[in-house]
Formats: sequence, C-alpha cells, structure tokens
Amino acid sequence: MGPVSWLIAIPMLTALAVAVVPARRWRMIRWVAATGMGLHLLLTAVVTVLYWQAARGDIASMKDALYSKLYLVERVAWFPSLGIQYYVGVDGISVAMVILTSLIIFTGVLASWYVDVRTKEFFVLLMTLVTGVFGVFLSFDLFLFLMFYELAVLPMYLLIGVWGTGPKEYSAMKLTLMLLVGSAFVLVGFLALYHASGLHTFDLMELAHAKFSSEFQRWVFPMIFVGFGVIGALYPLHTWSPDGHSSAPTAVSMLHAGVLMKLGGYGALRIGVYLLPEGAQMWGVLFMVLTTVNIVYGAMGAVMQKDLKYFTAYSSVSHCGFVLFGVAALNLMSFKGAVIQMFSHGIMTGLFFGLVGMIYGRTHTRMIPEMGGLAKVMPWLATAFYIAGLASLGLPGLSGFVAETHVLLGGFFANPWTSTVLAQVLTVIATTSLVITAVYVLRGLAKVFQGPITNEHYAHLGDATLPEKISSGLLVATLVVVGLVPWFFIDLIEGSLMPLVNRLHDTGAL
Amino acid sequence: MLVMLPEIVVIAAAFAVLLADLLLSERRRVILAPLAMAGLAAAMVVTVVAVPQSGEMLGGRFGMDPVAWWFKVLFLLAALVSVALSMDLLDGRARVRVRGIGHRGEYYTLLLATVVGMMCLISARDIITLYVALELATIPLFVLAAWRRDDALSGEAGLKYVIIGALASAFILYGLGLMYGLTGQTDLAAIARGLKSTSAFWLAAAMVMAGVGFKLTIVPFHMWAADVYQGAPTPVTAYLSVASKGAGLAFIFQLFFRVMGGYLEDWAILVALFAAATMTLGNVVAIVQQNIKRFMAFSAISQAGYLIMGFLGPSAEGVPAMLFYMLVYVVTNLAVFAGIVWYANETGREEIKDYRGLSRTNPLMALAMMVALFSLAGIPPLSGFVGKFFLFSIASRAGFHWLVAVAAVNSTVSLYYYLRIVRQMYIEPTFDGAASLRVTSAFAATTAALAAGVLLLGVVPFFYEVISADTLTWLAALVR
Repeated sequence: MGPVSWLIAIPMLTALAVAVVPARRWRMIRWVAATGMGLHLLLTAVVTVLYWQAARGDIASMKDALYSKLYLVERVAWFPSLGIQYYVGVDGISVAMVILTSLIIFTGVLASWYVDVRTKEFFVLLMTLVTGVFGVFLSFDLFLFLMFYELAVLPMYLLIGVWGTGPKEYSAMKLTLMLLVGSAFVLVGFLALYHASGLHTFDLMELAHAKFSSEFQRWVFPMIFVGFGVIGALYPLHTWSPDGHSSAPTAVSMLHAGVLMKLGGYGALRIGVYLLPEGAQMWGVLFMVLTTVNIVYGAMGAVMQKDLKYFTAYSSVSHCGFVLFGVAALNLMSFKGAVIQMFSHGIMTGLFFGLVGMIYGRTHTRMIPEMGGLAKVMPWLATAFYIAGLASLGLPGLSGFVAETHVLLGGFFANPWTSTVLAQVLTVIATTSLVITAVYVLRGLAKVFQGPITNEHYAHLGDATLPEKISSGLLVATLVVVGLVPWFFIDLIEGSLMPLVNRLHDTGAL
Repeated sequence: MLVMLPEIVVIAAAFAVLLADLLLSERRRVILAPLAMAGLAAAMVVTVVAVPQSGEMLGGRFGMDPVAWWFKVLFLLAALVSVALSMDLLDGRARVRVRGIGHRGEYYTLLLATVVGMMCLISARDIITLYVALELATIPLFVLAAWRRDDALSGEAGLKYVIIGALASAFILYGLGLMYGLTGQTDLAAIARGLKSTSAFWLAAAMVMAGVGFKLTIVPFHMWAADVYQGAPTPVTAYLSVASKGAGLAFIFQLFFRVMGGYLEDWAILVALFAAATMTLGNVVAIVQQNIKRFMAFSAISQAGYLIMGFLGPSAEGVPAMLFYMLVYVVTNLAVFAGIVWYANETGREEIKDYRGLSRTNPLMALAMMVALFSLAGIPPLSGFVGKFFLFSIASRAGFHWLVAVAAVNSTVSLYYYLRIVRQMYIEPTFDGAASLRVTSAFAATTAALAAGVLLLGVVPFFYEVISADTLTWLAALVR
C-alpha cells in the first residue's frame, strides 16, 4: 500500500483505534486522535517531498500539456465489469489540499481538547469525515470520488446535531439536505459523462481523452459546477452555510469552512473545467457574476452580524466567493489565485473558528456587543485573532494578499470568452469587498479585544492553554510563511494548472 | 429432476414441520423453527452446490437459468432470516407477550409454502404454472398477515390484503387469458414469438402490469401497503417487505423480459413515469409517518421506484443491477426489521418516538439500525449507495437524465426521514428509568450478520461481479 493510500487509511485506522478505547477514558481518546493526526501530518510532509522530487523535473514540459500528470499513483480494479477502479494519486493541487486538510484536522483535534461529552463518538465521526475529505482530494476515479464526497457529508449531521449549539438540529438538517442535493446534481453529471464518453470507464484521466459535444457540455457543465457550487457556497445556494457553521462545534466548523467548502472549488476545477472546457467557456460569465455577488454580499452580511460565529461564517461565504470567482475567470493567473485562496482561506478560517471556540469557551457568549477589552486578559488569543483578521482583509505579508491579488488580477485580465469590459467591471466590484472586509474585521475585533474590559468576570479569564497555543500557533505560522514566501507554494501548483488552461485555449485539438 | 431439487427440499421441510406440529407435544414444538430453518438452509446448500444453472422439467414448463438461480437464493435467504426473526415471538420468549399469536407449526408451514411458490414463479415457463405459482406465493401471505387473532388491526390487514390481492390476481389472470387468446399458446416463449403489437395485446399487457404493480407497490397500486404492513405481526411485515417485492420483481422479469422482450423500448417512458411517481410519493408520505411499520411501508414503496429503473433500456446491465439491488434490499431491509422486531419484543412499542435514546440503552442494536437506515438512504460506502448508483447508471444510459436527477434528489429527501429515526436513537434523551435492554443470541447473530452484509456487499466487488458474470448475457438470449 503506497503512501497515498496511507493518507486515506490513517484517519480510518485512527477512528477504529478510538472506537476500541472505553468511552469513559476520554482523555486517552483525544491523545489517540492527536497522535493519529500528528502521524498524518508527518506523512503529508513526506508525500509533499516525494511529489516535489518526482514532479520538479516535469514542470517545464507541462507548459504545453493538454492532460494532467499524476504521481505516486495506485490503481486496483474494483468493479471491472463497470470500469470502476480504486485509483488514487497526487498532483500539485491535490498536494496543496492535502497539506491544508492535514493541518486543519490536526489543529482541529487540538482545538477539541476539552470535549468531554460522548468524546468517543465525536472523534470517530470526525475521523470518518476527514477520511472522506482526503479520499476526495486523492481520487481520480469518478465513482470513488463521489463515494468519498458523500461519505464526508453525513457525519456532519451527527456532529452538528449532537455536539452543536444554538438551532443545531435545524442547521444540521438544512446543511445535510442542501449539500446532498448538490451532490445529486454532481451524480447526474458524472453518469452523463460516463455514458456519453463511450469509454465505459469512470477513470478521470481517460475521460479527458473523450470528445464531448458542445450541446452536451452546455448542460452538463453548469450541472456539475452548480452541484459543487452548493458546497462552495455559490450564491444563492450558500444559505446552509451561516447556520451550519455557527451551530457546529469548533473543530467541525474549522473543518467544514476550512476544508469541506474547498471541495466545491476543487471539484469545479478538477472535473468541471478539466473535462468540459467548452462548457466552462459558455458559462464562465454567469458564474463570474454570481460569485461577485457572493463576494460583496457575503462581506456586507458580515458587517451586520452581532454573533461572532455568524460573522466568521459570512466572511467565509465572501472568501469562498473568491475561489469560485477565480475558477470562473478562466485564466492561469485566476486559477492560481483560486487554489492559493483555497489554501489560504482554509487556514485562515480554521484559525478564526478555532479562536472563536476558545473565546466562547471562556466568555460563554458569542455576541460581540457583550465582549470588550479581552486583549488585556488573553493577549495570545487576541494576537492570533488579529493576524487572522489581517489575513482576511488581504494585508501584504500574509497569505490572503497573495491569493486575492492573483484572483483579482486574473479577473481583470479577463479571458477570450467573456467581454473584457464586463470582466473588469466585475473585478472592480469584487475589489470593493476588500474595503468592506476591512470595515467588519477591524470594527469587530476592536469591539471584542480593545478598549476597557466591559464585564468584570472577564478579568479572571485565562489565556490560551498549551494545546490551544500549538494549534493557533501552527496556523498563524502557515499564514505568515505562505504570505512571505509564496513562490514555493505557487511552484507546487503551477504545473498542475497548465493543462487546464491549455485545454481551454485549445478545444479544437481535444 | 435435479433442477427442481430446491423446491422439493422446501416442500419436504414444510411437510416435516406440519407433521411435527401434529405429533409433538406443545413443549417439544420449540423445535419447529430450527426445523424450518434447517430445511431452508438445506435448500440453499442444494441450490448452490447441486443444481445446474440451466435445465428444464415438466415438459418445458419449469426451467432454470442463472437469473432464476439468483432469485431462488434471494428468496431462501429472505425466508431464512424471517424465520429467525419470528422465532422468539412465536415461542413466547418475547419480553412483551402478545396474545393470540401462536400456532407455530402452521405459521412456518405457510411461510415455507410461499417460498416454494416464489421459487416456482421465477422458474415458470408457462402461463398456468406462472399463475399457480403466484397464487401459491401470495395466498399464504394473506393468512399470515391476519395471524394475530385478537388484534383488530391484524384482521384488517389480512382482509385488505386478500381483497386487493385477489383483485390484482384477477387482473393478472385476465391479462394472461387475453394473451392466450391472442396467440393460442400457453408457453411463455411461444407467446413471445406470437405476439403482435395490437391494441388487444396492449390491453393484456396493461392488465398484467396493473396486477404486478400491486405486488411491487408501484404507485398508484400501492395503497394496500401501509395498512397491511402496519397491521400484520412484525415478523410477517419483515418477510412481506422483502419477499413480496422479490416475487413481484420475479413476475415482472418473466413478463417484461421473457414475454414482451421485443417491446421494451416502447415501455420505457411509462416505466420512467411510474418510477418517478413511486419514489416521490413514497418519500413524501414517509416524512409524516409516526408508526415505524407504516413508515417502513412507504420506505419500501419508494425503494420499489428505484428498483424498476433497471427496466429502462433495454439494457443488459439492468438485469445484474436489479438483482444486486434486490440482494442489497433484502439484507438491508431485514437488518432494519431485525431492530424493529427486537424492539417490539422487548418493549411492545412501535412508534418512532418510542425509539428515543436507543443508542444508550443498547448501543449495538442502535448502530446496526443506523447503518441499515443509512444504507437505505444511499449513503456511501454502504451497499445501498452502490446499488442505487448502478440503477441510476441504467437510467442515465437510457437517456433519462431527468429521472436520474429526480431519483438522486429523492434519495436526499429520503435521508430526512431516515435521519428522524437516527435522531431519536442518538440525539434525543432516554425515557426516565429506561433499563438496558437485552438481546437474545439469535437476534444478536442475525443482526450482526445482516449489518456486516450491509457494509460489505457494496464495497467488496465479489458479489456484484459474480451476479454480473452470471446474468449479463441473459437478456440478449431473450431479446433476439
């Protein structure tokens, strides 16, 4: 079993290990989970190095490539009569996403260090969820992809419904049903691809060689894009997100906003744009308009929020809009921006939700007006929060700037299939969201952390504990490193994005 | 002679049970259930080991082929598990005693009789054999549904079942009679050769399909299901939900593929519409159900909607897809019913809200039920997801993309009501003073085996590949 399969297997094995520990030994359970995910983080580092060694020589040759190249591939026939196989591997985008997920789940486990109610079921479900997510990022067979994708949705219901707060059951049900309706559309698209290709296989790399007619692409591309867009919080299908994230327990919010929402952008790129470039050309404009609404509407929604978690959730809707905007803009710069934003926002929102959870655990309120002056008692948490906020509004030196610059520049450069004027107008409108983001971030953080301490109970609160310091520290460090030294990250993904762009420009050759 | 061996073994078992019931004392009658199970297990072994995969008997009226072979395996499996589930209730070992239930000997004899009927149904090659087998399969079910003599609901269930069932049988008989009239033949293959697309033929086909739609609970022939499922004793409901569906599917196989094989394309749009209506209505009405058996009736109705999508095509792949889904459905549905029967035996309760906190009083049974319910909803990596995926693929291949969308959305909606039960078990607090519930070893073994099946049937490719290898070419031979 190669390293990539281990990346999927380790969370599953951790879930089994947790299931074996007696339920009352909840302290041991969290150590088992942390050890498992720590090992996973190490393996991710190893896989990244292996990938880099294998792929570094190929980057020049990818400049004109029409087909993606995969590394560390493992294939086993599964249902041979239907052309279904267990087919996993990595390319640059996958590696970036796996690093993101690995970091978020490790820090998420640390952020869940004090969950003492039904701890065992909590961690089993969390590990199952993350197995699904890793599986999606590493699969290259459409059946396997869909199987992992849906596996990642269902534990959400139980995690939010049992361990959540607020209107948890309503939020859990709304989230689960909307995400599954989205995946229903993806399923229709996948089956249509399978039968129309005439190749009798679900192999993504082989399907790229099939010729799909323009008429076919015209209706299948939007179906797949919208299906993935539901989980990517595409306007107007984003409504599950504010309630879902706010009702979820901390680690679940971190994982969901940080990683699961990126499945939308990943699927749209990997399958939508890769297999159906003509469809992307036809529909890019509409999705650029919708995602611009996402960006601005999400930001304006965040301005209005009094609850810290809803504030973060709307901010996520806005930033995920950047991801899909980058995908819809259909050029190399914007694709790079989309992937960097997937990573950067993932880390940032994971950090945000983690910190909100830590603050809620201390103040027992999430309402911004009720908090004040917390920086005096929790300097570490306040600093981490500020760094996250600054990354959110795109301060240079942090990863948010790199991502948003690429996306907005890419949008401004437009593409041959969209009216340049329209693209530039949309980009300018999207850019205004940076100002709105600055407003809500700075205002909200100022109210919560600065000024006098408004409630004398707060004066006795403690700052971050060691597990909390490790988790927030790790995420802050990532934001800073990618912000200051982005070229390593960009080199990682650039080679994998070239085929997507080349296919768009060269639909005649396909 | 070998070809009919499974049926002979089951008939022998039925007579053995009947005689044992006659001759043994009341105390010794505990042996009847194991006897019935032994008979069924022997028939299963005989089918797997000794019976050839093709052959004919009775002058061509009884035949065997790979599809028939698989159906027999399914029927025997369903019956075996159903007997295991009925044992405790009929032997009086249930914690909550039910008055008016007993007569074990007749119960098992009737159940074994239905199995014979179903096995003959799929092997019939002649309309009279077909009809007689159908009656043998369904009439004992009418009686079994009314088994609780002191319960008004049970009597109502039996009565409704017999009246509507007899009506459906009458329609089938009339349709078959018309086919005989049109072709002068009773042999199914000869009828297929002699059929021409006249309006009389379509009338005959419609009548037969109406009767079959009743058995398979296709909308708008589904109305009997809710009351009968709710009123019948719970182990009978379990058996009904899988066996009568299997028999209905077998009957449609005979009719659709064997008799009307050449006209499959003409039926496609109708099948698609029926499928869409069935799955949607089943799902929507299931949402408001409070009684778990009634709930399972509507769940079964919607599952039938997914199942008949395999007839769109004609597609050689539809045959293994439907057989595989039937296998998954038998295992999964019986897993859910194992939980329901056990809970009714322990507490006497049947309302969904009574399942509150089951995850704390008996975590393993709750887990098994949750796994089975998620499989019915089509959540990966469980076998229900894989089975549904293959059926959706058939619809997509036939160009019915709208139907795939409807089916996928319905699958999502169904998750809502399956989650209601999971919510009760896991999220709601327990009753005050709820004691831990115990599980007999029979139930524990059965439930564990079924839950393992639910988990493994989809992921381990062996089952689908074997079915596919056996049956993929079956349709081509018929639709020449």
